Amino acid sequence: MSKMKMADGSTILRRNRPGTKAKDFCRWPDEPFEEMDSTLAVQQYIQQLIRRDPNNIDLILKMPESQDEGVWKYEHLRQFCMELNGLAVRLQGECHPETCTQMTATEQWIFLCAAHKTPKECPAIDYTRHTLDGAACLLNSNKYFPSRVSIKESSVAKLGSVCRRVYRIFSHAYFHHRSIFDEFETETCLCKRFTQFVTKYNLMSKDNLIVPILEEENTPGESEA
Amino acid sequence: MEDNSLNMQNGGQMGPQGGSVGNNKQNDEINPKSQYSIPGILHFIQHEWARFELERSQWEVDRAELQARIAFLQGERKGQENLKNDLVRRIKMLEYALKQERAKFHKLKYGTELQQGDMKPPVIDESSESQLDSDQSFVSVSNSTWKQGRQLLRQYLQEIGYTDRIIDVRSTRVRALLGLNNNNADQEDNQNGGGLNANESNKRASETQGRRTPAKKAQPSSLAEAMMLDTEAAVMANLEFLSNTDVDMDDDDDMNDDADIEPGDEIEDDVKMGKKDKMDNDLGLGDDVDAIALEVFNELNRLSEAEKKQDIKTEQGKRAIGINDEDNVDSSLGLGELAQLTVNNDAESTYDIASSKEAFRKTWNAKYTLRSHFDAVRALAFHPTEPVLITASEDHTLKLWNLQKTVPAKKSASLDVEPLYTFRSHTGPVLCLAISGTGEHCYSGGLDGIINCWNVPNSNIDPYDLYEPDILNANLHGHSDAVWGLAVLNSKQYLLSCSADKTVKLWAPHAKQQLLSTYVSEQDGIPSSVDFVRDEPNRIVASYFSLNCVIFDTETGKPVARLESTAADGVNSTARQINKIVCHPTLPLTITAHEDRHIRFWDNHTGKMVHSMVAHLDAVTSLAVDPNGLYLLSGSHDCSIRLWHLDNKTCVQEITAHRKKFDESILDVAFHPSRPYIASAGADGLAKVFV
Ligand SMILES: [Zn+2]
Ligand SMILES: [Zn+2]
Repeated sequence: MSKMKMADGSTILRRNRPGTKAKDFCRWPDEPFEEMDSTLAVQQYIQQLIRRDPNNIDLILKMPESQDEGVWKYEHLRQFCMELNGLAVRLQGECHPETCTQMTATEQWIFLCAAHKTPKECPAIDYTRHTLDGAACLLNSNKYFPSRVSIKESSVAKLGSVCRRVYRIFSHAYFHHRSIFDEFETETCLCKRFTQFVTKYNLMSKDNLIVPILEEENTPGESEA
Repeated sequence: MEDNSLNMQNGGQMGPQGGSVGNNKQNDEINPKSQYSIPGILHFIQHEWARFELERSQWEVDRAELQARIAFLQGERKGQENLKNDLVRRIKMLEYALKQERAKFHKLKYGTELQQGDMKPPVIDESSESQLDSDQSFVSVSNSTWKQGRQLLRQYLQEIGYTDRIIDVRSTRVRALLGLNNNNADQEDNQNGGGLNANESNKRASETQGRRTPAKKAQPSSLAEAMMLDTEAAVMANLEFLSNTDVDMDDDDDMNDDADIEPGDEIEDDVKMGKKDKMDNDLGLGDDVDAIALEVFNELNRLSEAEKKQDIKTEQGKRAIGINDEDNVDSSLGLGELAQLTVNNDAESTYDIASSKEAFRKTWNAKYTLRSHFDAVRALAFHPTEPVLITASEDHTLKLWNLQKTVPAKKSASLDVEPLYTFRSHTGPVLCLAISGTGEHCYSGGLDGIINCWNVPNSNIDPYDLYEPDILNANLHGHSDAVWGLAVLNSKQYLLSCSADKTVKLWAPHAKQQLLSTYVSEQDGIPSSVDFVRDEPNRIVASYFSLNCVIFDTETGKPVARLESTAADGVNSTARQINKIVCHPTLPLTITAHEDRHIRFWDNHTGKMVHSMVAHLDAVTSLAVDPNGLYLLSGSHDCSIRLWHLDNKTCVQEITAHRKKFDESILDVAFHPSRPYIASAGADGLAKVFV
């Protein structure tokens, strides 16, 4: 168990007990990854890194040695989909079926919602909800992902298409609800982390990464090429 | 024959020495060597015939006895064969389950293509296949063969007339078959039971065996006693219970027969024996290897029960055990045993009593696994009437599940259900949840300090329907920190909430003026959990960080009673904190779940603690009382849920249900208000429903 003896002999229990204040939620001492013996160790570790500093994307995406890469990618994607709920909640207030009748980013493409038996032209907000719900079902499916400690290759292959679909939520927000996107991005760095993640693990082609988020960051440092 | 027999004796003595002809009796005596005479010969023949007749009749008797013995042995053999068949069937089912698991594993390892090829080999003969198709059919088959066998046995026994010895023989044999196996299994389990508490369990197991008898005696004083209810009420409750639960127990019938065979002269052991036999049956019934592994683990844990009861007893100190209540317990159990042992009883009544006795011990098995949340499931609540539930998670969402809409994919004891609707509005983890008495609304409290009131969508909607903003009915703003507890009062459509902002608030969520009042207890700090006092609708109770609970009058807003814990030296309050408070649906009783592994019971009128027990191996996080007020369900960070009989505070069943994330495991438990479902919510992101 992830207990740690403190100097005074008492044990740290990493729990959010009822009555915990919001500011103290999950505010416990970090636990080294090697000492996590739970089947959910990778999730615990990723969340711990994010809580410590959501801006330190390199550290968050740095896979521990001897970690199974499939599980690492899978747990990160779970975390992305979970945090995307936050963006979806914000979009619900502004992205209405009357105004955003289709899922678009730039005018180039209309995305069809793949959650239905035959892909449908869902309004953007429904596309968002359906895609997140579908991702939740797929990533929790007993058929494809029965275990969280080892994942077969054929299932790892499914992660790419989930990435492509959920990325459209970022791009719709960026191109159509910019203030929501900026507010959310400032708080979470989620789109930036996601972009770096899919680039690092080759889960999406560069052409599809249409939110200009890494360039923005890089421009001041590097000479414009 | 009288005369003849007299003569026979004489003749018998005399005859061999020489047959006399023409002599009478007197002559015989006077003259032993007298001549043969016709009457003498006739007499001798007569006598010999009579002797043979006697011997023949003796042999007849012997033969009858032997036949009876054979009949009995045959009957016994038949019974044993039935038992054997039953066990073989179960072994086959286990093998099948194992094959399935292997196939599953294989499939997962090498990809979906191999599925068909792999799924075929494990398909055994049609009979076992059909049994697997439906538990019901399996049960009825085994049940009817059992009934036949028992009927036969009973007939034989009646013929023979001697019952007691046979029962002894029979029960010892059956015990040799079941009991000894059980013991072996236990020992093996103990040896194999590595992991966190193997040593502890071993120690406990051995202690338990030594102390079995006292353990039974050490049943803690009952709720009824504590509440000063009179005997009659308790007896009535018992009777009512027996008749009520009868109905749901149909599917456990086949277990009764096994339990039936328990010996009557070891009533102290019966409680244990019964449970063990039942556990064995469970092994057979569950087709899911996981479930079986869990059961084995549970059984291992169960061994520590008795020892805990000892602890409770000592903790109880001088508190007298109500004689009446103990009688209740014993008589109800004892009656069951006796009824089963009285072979001449009418068959039906035997079965009835047996099944109601089993009702005492309905075994819950995991049936549905609800997987769709990305993070810990903090709370769950059942719809009042439909097989529908809602879960609330740290992934910021709530999800609606219809247990009748399962994924028809795989043949497995545990069914997957996909959520019908995802509620999104909280901007942080959702911590608590309540459903209104009509099932139309649900309320969720979050780390964001907001309480959302939702219109529950129809339980037959398409999961990928269009977004309807009016599903979110209202937000209740008022708390300035995380909302950790919610409770509804159906009669008035009131909602009660508690928050880390130190307040408890009463709401009328569907009225114009939503916030009714705010309750604060400055001396006690932050409330951790709240509930309505169910037997007095204008009272509420809240548990606080101070380890005290306060009962408020909702009309005056004043505290009317305090349930105060005595401070323990050297233990900080976090280590003993109250994680959950619930009120009994009908009695003036409050139950609290503590971080220090205890469940404590309080009298609302006196404010005194009436009972305290170590209930789990780790912090107790959650409690639920069944709608009839007979059972208590508890969940703990020790990964298990436990079902308690409220009357005598004994653990009826333990199920290992969830895995740990950090140091958290089970976060909520619930009873369905009107259907036989229980559920648990875990830090592993899963919710499980048991039937
Ligand atoms: Zn939009
Ligand atoms: Zn759609």
